[in-house]
Amino acid sequence: MTDLLTEQPEVSLRKTWRPFRPRSGKPLSNLAGISSQPLASLGWILFTTSLLAALTAGLLAPADPWTSVSTPFQPPGAAHWFGTDDLGRDLFSGVLFGLRTSMLVGLTGTSISGLIGILIGATSGYFGGWLDDLLMRLTEFFQVIPRFFLALLAVALFKPGLVTITIVLGLTSWPMTARLLRAQILSLNEREFVLASRALGAGTAWIIRSHLLPNALPPVVVQLSLMIGQMMLIEASLSFLGLGDPNIISLGYLLRNAQPFLRLSWWMFLFPGLAIAQAVLAFNLMGDRLNDFLLRRYTR
Amino acid sequence: MTRYVLRRVIQVPFLLLGILVFTFFLIHLAPGDPINALAGEYGNAAYFAEMRARYGLDRPIAEQLFIYLKNLARGDLGTAYTYGQPVTRVILERMPTTLLLMGTSFILATSVGITLGFSAGRRPDSLVDHSVSILALLGYALPVFWLAQVMLYFLALKLGWFPIQGLTSAREQYTGLRLFLDVGHHLLLPAAALAIQQIALVTRLTRTGMLETLASPYVLAARARGLGSRRVDVRHALRNALLPVVTVVGGRIGFLFSGAVLTESVFAWPGLGRLLLEATLARDYPILMGMFLLISLAVILANLITDLVYAILDPRIIYT
Amino acid sequence: MKQIRSLSRLMQQGILWGLVILAAAACSSPVSVEQVQQAATDVAPVVDAAATQIAETVEEVATEAAPLIEGAATEVSEAIENIAEPTAEPEEVMGEMEPVPGGTLVVAIGEDPGQFNPAITTSFGPHSVADSIFNGLVALDDNANPQPDLAERWTVSDDATTYTFHLVEGVTWHDGEPFTSEDVKFTFENILLKFHSRTKAGLETILEGIDTPDEHTVIFRFNAPYGPLLQRLDVTEAPILPRHIYEGIEDPSQTDANLKPVGTGPFKLDSHTAGAEVRLVRNENYFKKGLPYLDAVVFRVIPEAATQLLALEAGEVDYVWRVPGPDTARLQQATETAVIPVPAGPGGGFCIMTLTFNLDREVFQDLRVRQAFAHAIDRQQILDQVIFGQGKVAVAPISSRISWAHLADGPTYPYDPDTATALLDDANYPPGSGGTRFSVDFVHFPTFSKYGEVMREQLKKVGIDLELRPLERDAAIEAVFNQRDFDTNIISYCNNTDPDIGVRRMYVSTNIGPIPFSNGANYINPRIDELFADAASTGDTEERGALYREIQEILLEELPYWWLVETDFSVGVRANCHDFRAWSGQFAETAWCES
Repeated sequence: MTDLLTEQPEVSLRKTWRPFRPRSGKPLSNLAGISSQPLASLGWILFTTSLLAALTAGLLAPADPWTSVSTPFQPPGAAHWFGTDDLGRDLFSGVLFGLRTSMLVGLTGTSISGLIGILIGATSGYFGGWLDDLLMRLTEFFQVIPRFFLALLAVALFKPGLVTITIVLGLTSWPMTARLLRAQILSLNEREFVLASRALGAGTAWIIRSHLLPNALPPVVVQLSLMIGQMMLIEASLSFLGLGDPNIISLGYLLRNAQPFLRLSWWMFLFPGLAIAQAVLAFNLMGDRLNDFLLRRYTR
Repeated sequence: MTRYVLRRVIQVPFLLLGILVFTFFLIHLAPGDPINALAGEYGNAAYFAEMRARYGLDRPIAEQLFIYLKNLARGDLGTAYTYGQPVTRVILERMPTTLLLMGTSFILATSVGITLGFSAGRRPDSLVDHSVSILALLGYALPVFWLAQVMLYFLALKLGWFPIQGLTSAREQYTGLRLFLDVGHHLLLPAAALAIQQIALVTRLTRTGMLETLASPYVLAARARGLGSRRVDVRHALRNALLPVVTVVGGRIGFLFSGAVLTESVFAWPGLGRLLLEATLARDYPILMGMFLLISLAVILANLITDLVYAILDPRIIYT
Repeated sequence: MKQIRSLSRLMQQGILWGLVILAAAACSSPVSVEQVQQAATDVAPVVDAAATQIAETVEEVATEAAPLIEGAATEVSEAIENIAEPTAEPEEVMGEMEPVPGGTLVVAIGEDPGQFNPAITTSFGPHSVADSIFNGLVALDDNANPQPDLAERWTVSDDATTYTFHLVEGVTWHDGEPFTSEDVKFTFENILLKFHSRTKAGLETILEGIDTPDEHTVIFRFNAPYGPLLQRLDVTEAPILPRHIYEGIEDPSQTDANLKPVGTGPFKLDSHTAGAEVRLVRNENYFKKGLPYLDAVVFRVIPEAATQLLALEAGEVDYVWRVPGPDTARLQQATETAVIPVPAGPGGGFCIMTLTFNLDREVFQDLRVRQAFAHAIDRQQILDQVIFGQGKVAVAPISSRISWAHLADGPTYPYDPDTATALLDDANYPPGSGGTRFSVDFVHFPTFSKYGEVMREQLKKVGIDLELRPLERDAAIEAVFNQRDFDTNIISYCNNTDPDIGVRRMYVSTNIGPIPFSNGANYINPRIDELFADAASTGDTEERGALYREIQEILLEELPYWWLVETDFSVGVRANCHDFRAWSGQFAETAWCES
């Protein structure tokens, strides 16, 4: 625990995001229990809405988000729920597809980062020694490099586009994951069941796979779920600075596109902003729920 | 403890060197030419060659890196292309405004966040608790620039409570107290916009910390000893609840910088964030290198200080 | 407990949706859509800010400004008088009012100028500020006619090889030193011809020498007849620096003298806060009596265009260099603000947004494909929706503003997707799966993305897939002109005052290579080279015009580029300020504001 606190400030996110536990009430026992409540939590509603909207964007959207379907600058109305933009494109469709893209950026970036983080964290934590030293120096290095600026630089200097943004975010966000997992494994390594397996001659890979990962992963999963929303916000921010991707509709693109028309058509600015807020909110709330569920099981 | 600090301090130059080499290659290997930005579009081939030679850009990258590091060792960060001035001067000139913005926002975030988190955490499940929690969640989910523009539109343009842009009023040349008030007036909106995400985070951290410590045995014991509720909450619970706040807030200096880029853009706040963005677009390599050095150094130092503060707050921690 | 939790959740949602509804209700739009659409057609020439920011810097790469053989200077100015039709400007009506001295003018600029030596750079940032501190030998009026500035009069030899300028007497620098012909000679020889890339490229090879027979006379000698010199001598093109300050400075591009400018201009530097603002104050000893009217000009650095406009509307700022298309209508309707349309600005004018076909690519070697592009692109839609009516559809490679050279009745390619489809079928590019015939990329500065978005949808209808590749300016220049790694690209090519400066560079085969904003299409036609050379060495304007028209006939047949729209700029001002020289870098010399 000492190591965890001294070496890794971000680790305490795990603790900090743990939601309120009613002092008198019993801990919520499982995920199903939460969803079966008469009024599912806000998180669930938002999460399902975002996910469904993103998944079925192609079906739900009344129009192609790039195609001009009506007169430009129509305020929200029956024909166009969110109004139309400067080229007469349906904004509701834009928001649906944009939500999908933004979520994809968040999920892909997080997956890349999770993969690297888990790989490095597990190796480092399990093997220790010089390998651990080396990997931890590498981790520190990537932790200190400001990832927003790195993304900014990569996009401005090399190739703008969502792919670049996603990859850069994925490649630079893993240190937190790695350090968290490493700390977990370090503490598990000393636990009886691991020591017992080792004494019984179990292979390294087997121990990692069967004992360490399943027990060490829950806090990592929680942390990753919180990363998704942050990545969505970074994508939007880069787009705002004019470094987005005009080939794929994302919420960042829509917000950037609204910039010249702020005074003219508030809907172009409002709806994508609310969409991103609710999606990020959804992922954050889900992170809380996961935290609640997984960590409880884990600590039990 | 001393050994630990020493080890960390020794690491700093190596870490910095690594970052410098990394960013140097990243920047110099990118397609494009800083001379384009410098020359406008009118230069002919001879002009380009001349300018490249002037800035040493015609040499092999390894040599350029070597020269850069050599100069750096003497404290010379080079000359900014677009400004024709030493990078150190360009950066230092803008530092105070950014520090003012970040500092104010930091103080705002910590004080408001702790207050909100404390009042929410003291009375779990109350109306206060739920309103604070939902606001904190929202604050953490909204894009900084979006919120900044909403604030600008309503509070500055529509209601006229705040000025739209800048550090001071352009038409007046205040001095003394008037200047102080004028800057304060201009500062509030950007600092608030930059602080919102931090407020949300600090609120959540404090609240969670309060909940956990309030349920811990020693708080219960203090209560049993008959200490007043408010006193227990503040003296015992809050102090412990703040531990995670310290670590997380200290580790977020980089986030504050990136938030500053956006806020400074929206409010035309003349600081380092803007400088970084402009330098990126103009490919002003020396400024970019200088900024990366500065930010990395700030992050490293913040992490170190965080660790130490943590150790002071929590005597259980022993550094090895 | 459970009930309480459910209840609180209900409340949480209530708060959330309440916020949403509040926000929606509060954001009532100040101008209706109809108004804007109408205004878009009403408000004539202006352009979207993004486009212009690039446009104003994009200009000529006169790498080989061939000598013009002009009979006499009078002919030049005749020619130039034809260049631009005067635009109706709001302050013409106001012009009858008596100027009020005093007051501070606040100007929004997008970037810090960095330094204040306009002679070492052509970028917009330094010039937007420093041009008010210095003077050129001549000034240009809004039709680009030369007017006296530091030179009160001039004569040109009959063969246009010798220009003699008589300087105003009694002019002093801001530090009190007298201004003399030596300053002019020094500035050209030691600074402009070395650092001002445009002047260097234009004059270096043909300028034989500069003589200073006395303190108030300067003579330029050329090794061949040279017509457009007077257009190259205003404060943006050739600002005059003080010799007594710069003499002996080893590197004028990196000196503290550039931060403490000493000029002859209407304003002098008072203070500079890096990244925040520049404050200029009235030059009490300005050699033009009674000018300037303003006590001070404050340049505010406001990077976001949206914030610049909010500041203009709130009255924090009086002058915005470029107003985006959709906002001009609102600013014009408001009583406190006004818009000045200008066809040119410091650093560039008479610009045409041009689509370049990379003729190295096999697909574009087929004329029918290029014709198909021309027919498939609806330029009226671009005019309406991208630049909001601020300009006009281009009909020829030379701007209609240069009316003596412009070809008004050349071959046309009306918007007609059917013809485009037929041409593509004919060229043997049948639609594949999904209807796509082929895919080409479109390299552009991020500020021009909107052009790409509109064209992508239009081209999709005829089966062409246009893939947008936004690249930051330097990366785009690298990709297009150095690497030639692009299929199509878009650039705002500014014609400026003479086709020999701004047009020739795009078409002659000698200008192919790693030079920014050169012949990016890689178009090679010996006949075109010949005609441009002929036009440059012809004195008579009518004859030159005929040659340029012949060139345009050929270009419109061969379509190495496709000319989309001619763009104009618009300046946003507070309505109580008048008499700006908005087309010039020295825009505030005659300006004044009612208090």
